Amino acid sequence: MIDIVLASGLDAPKGLSLIDGNKERRLKTSSPASVKADARMRGVLLYSPPYEIEEGACVELARNGGALVFSLSDVLREGGFRRSIIISKMRLALAACRRAGCSSVAFTLAKRQEEVRTGRELAAFMAVLGMTDAERKHAKEIAETLAKKEGAG
Amino acid sequence: MKPSQRFKKRYVSFRLAVGGAAPSREAARQIVHEHFLSFFGESGISGLAFKLISYDEKTGAGMVRCERSRVDETIFCMACFTKWKGGAGRMEPVSTGGSVKRTEME
Repeated sequence: MIDIVLASGLDAPKGLSLIDGNKERRLKTSSPASVKADARMRGVLLYSPPYEIEEGACVELARNGGALVFSLSDVLREGGFRRSIIISKMRLALAACRRAGCSSVAFTLAKRQEEVRTGRELAAFMAVLGMTDAERKHAKEIAETLAKKEGAG
Repeated sequence: MKPSQRFKKRYVSFRLAVGGAAPSREAARQIVHEHFLSFFGESGISGLAFKLISYDEKTGAGMVRCERSRVDETIFCMACFTKWKGGAGRMEPVSTGGSVKRTEME
């Protein structure tokens, strides 16, 4: 399984390959103001931390073959009620993605070693968000294409 | 009761570390119970059929029981454990199985 992290030199857990997201051109961190414009980029992996994404942006993402990124680290950094709010926002964003027909993927986007999680934990995160088995499989395929591209480059 | 109506359970083994070391049996019990209660709430815990089955304070290895359909939530709950009383913590799920013996073997 493939995971994207936002730091270099992190140790990968067993059965997981880490890709440095800072070197990955397809991964785009977007603010709420620029999310719709960024969604028009071809094949972009759109990471919008507040997860307040409109359906129009999801339609643009679907049209251009992009995917919305969910970060497990965003959940780990919060606690208590704030954690439940961010999971709720992620679920709403996933529902918007599904309605618009755009893909979604989940990575840890870890910045520190303590935020790195195993492939099983990442799969459980996707399941808790409400991704179906088919959606999870598709998310894995998207991540694997990134790994192949990195291996080729 | 029909076999199909029977309570279906799964066992999830984990490895617990707080501040880089395995906590004592009593501390681990408190950590696991409080973290699961905080994550699921009282109602959620009752539906989860949660139970701490075993814990070894030498290795930090333990096992919990949960309802079959909620294994992913249990694993995600473990993944969400990050700190305890100011120190960094980690509850890493190791394996899942339908029986205690099989889960221990993996």
